Amino acid sequence: MAQLVREIMIEATPETIWPFLTEPDQLIEWHGTVAEIDPRPGGIYRVFVAGQFRSAGEYVEVVPLEKVVFTFGWEEDGHPIPPGSTTIEITLHSEGDKTRVRLVHSGLPDDAIDDHGKGWAHYLERLSVRISGGDPGPDRGSEGQ
Amino acid sequence: MDAALKALAEPRRREILRLVWTRELPATDIADHFAEVTRSAISQHLAVLKTAGLVTERRDGTRRWYRADRNEMKKLRTFLDEYWTSGLERLRDVAEAAQHDKEKH
Repeated sequence: MAQLVREIMIEATPETIWPFLTEPDQLIEWHGTVAEIDPRPGGIYRVFVAGQFRSAGEYVEVVPLEKVVFTFGWEEDGHPIPPGSTTIEITLHSEGDKTRVRLVHSGLPDDAIDDHGKGWAHYLERLSVRISGGDPGPDRGSEGQ
Repeated sequence: MDAALKALAEPRRREILRLVWTRELPATDIADHFAEVTRSAISQHLAVLKTAGLVTERRDGTRRWYRADRNEMKKLRTFLDEYWTSGLERLRDVAEAAQHDKEKH
């Protein structure tokens, strides 16, 4: 199983960042367009992104101001990542007046790994991330250039 | 890009892409690889992959040959790689704006 890790430093406290991970209205300010979330273990995670994709899963662990873990996949027939099949863990580490946000997407399919497919496996991992990220927003990204 | 992502959501299309990843193959050889799938279904999968820009098609008499368009894949990979990063950058932007608002009040 492949995993992907991304980190970013944010000049804000965990108290400020936390609602952007756990409140639907604030979540969609950076991720997706409609969010139906119940951030407690066993609670639903459902976020619509880019119109045609519906991501869904279930919260596994929620530690206020520190960590949120949920399963993740796509509600689409034949999708390589069905709901609940992968896990996303987002952690906040306070560092002075900044916060390090770390995102780990694990359990990504690696069925693409084969004799001549190293590049392809790498590609599929990135694909999973693109899908998990959802709508890139009209004023961001470099697609179509 | 969405066309490519949708094209890749189907397991057989991913398998086709693997087959033609390092070599060009005629449609008949590709179809032979899938014993349980009809030729016309494979033709449709190839058409989807071609429309999405993931494979190129070459005609040689009555045969059609396919291979993965790795330049296109590379572009897509780059895009996807940047994608998640940009998601977190959006989080940073909105969180820093919120922090700024808090400190003003």
